[in-house]
Amino acid sequence: MNVSIERLGAVLVIRPEGGDTLDGACAGDVKRRVLAAIDGGCDVVVDLGALEFVDSAGLGVMVSVFKAVRRYGRRAVFARTRPALRRIMRIIQLDRIFVLADDVDAALAILAPEPIAAAD
Amino acid sequence: MTRNDATGEDTIGEGLEELCRVHDIGLDLIRHSDDVEDLLDRILDEYEERLAGLGDAPLDAGETTGERAPMRGLVMFAAQAAALKEKATAAASLRASNDALRAALAEEERGRRRLDAVLAALDAGIAVVDGEGRVRHANRAAARLAGVPEEGVIGAEVRALVGDVASGGDGAIERSRDGGTRTVLVSRRPLRSEPGAEVVLLSDVTDHEHERRGRLERLAETMRTLSTLCHKINNPLTSLMGRAQLLRRYEGVDERVVKAAEVIEESARCIADDVRELARTVKDGRRDALDAGDGEDAR
Repeated sequence: MNVSIERLGAVLVIRPEGGDTLDGACAGDVKRRVLAAIDGGCDVVVDLGALEFVDSAGLGVMVSVFKAVRRYGRRAVFARTRPALRRIMRIIQLDRIFVLADDVDAALAILAPEPIAAAD
Repeated sequence: MTRNDATGEDTIGEGLEELCRVHDIGLDLIRHSDDVEDLLDRILDEYEERLAGLGDAPLDAGETTGERAPMRGLVMFAAQAAALKEKATAAASLRASNDALRAALAEEERGRRRLDAVLAALDAGIAVVDGEGRVRHANRAAARLAGVPEEGVIGAEVRALVGDVASGGDGAIERSRDGGTRTVLVSRRPLRSEPGAEVVLLSDVTDHEHERRGRLERLAETMRTLSTLCHKINNPLTSLMGRAQLLRRYEGVDERVVKAAEVIEESARCIADDVRELARTVKDGRRDALDAGDGEDAR
């Protein structure tokens, strides 16, 4: 599995691709490459649109990414989780812990800074 | 004991162990629930550990959650953790709102005290009257200038402050104070933010009034003096001109005397013109004093 990394404005978009499974076989490698890309310089969106199947190791990677981003005081949003993955996350309540978005644009909107109110 | 019994007991034992672990974790999370960020850190750490402990087993609907203790433990822990995180987030949000509200109230209170201090320091009186004509707010100066006891000004009828000055208008009232009479200028203006309500402004103009009257009196005195002077000059001047004219008409008078009489008459006429001009100025000056409101002295 590959990991593509793209900078969209002030947000880093990380995209596992080239396969639809994040499991014990590739989780370690994906985790290493994703964590290497996170340097605390910006918020992160993880686009999971390519993943159809994730096991406990794959979920562990997601938790590790979320932790790493938080350690820098930044925010992470997981976008485009497919129904199968969403179901698994629901079983172990990760959908109530993570910030999820339907797509990358929605994730970027969540991370956008609050507009400053105009003076009267 | 059969092998199945032994496996069953192991499973039960494992389950109980896991249950205790989850319970301990749960208590630990509750202990940290006051700080949402700290709580979330602990939840994520526990997730990471438990997911690693599951190995690479699938988590989808193909496997029942009741079969393995670690999976059961994860599900139990996750339910508690998620619920606690949401409660803590809501509590933190409520605390933040309360803090913001308290800060806003404190700022408003400071602003109010600052305004009160400013109003208290003013020499001019300011009062707010409600739509029913009752005084709702007044500074100390308002009570003093209106001659109303300070403790009785709030709730008093507006007439106590403004006398006969009409709503929306300006006027003056007289009040006894410090053994004398003070003139107080009153202005009433609508308060836009409250229909029917008014702002009343009072200022003591007694000293200004005295100064103004003093100036008018001095002006009038000067005019009187000039007027008297005009009369005093005109009378002998008229006599002088008359005599000069007579002198010119006498027969047998030396030509030089006639010339001198002409010069005297001409000069007297110039002086008379100047005096007439001065008298006109005096008359105008008196009219100005009259217009300024001091009718008695201007006559």
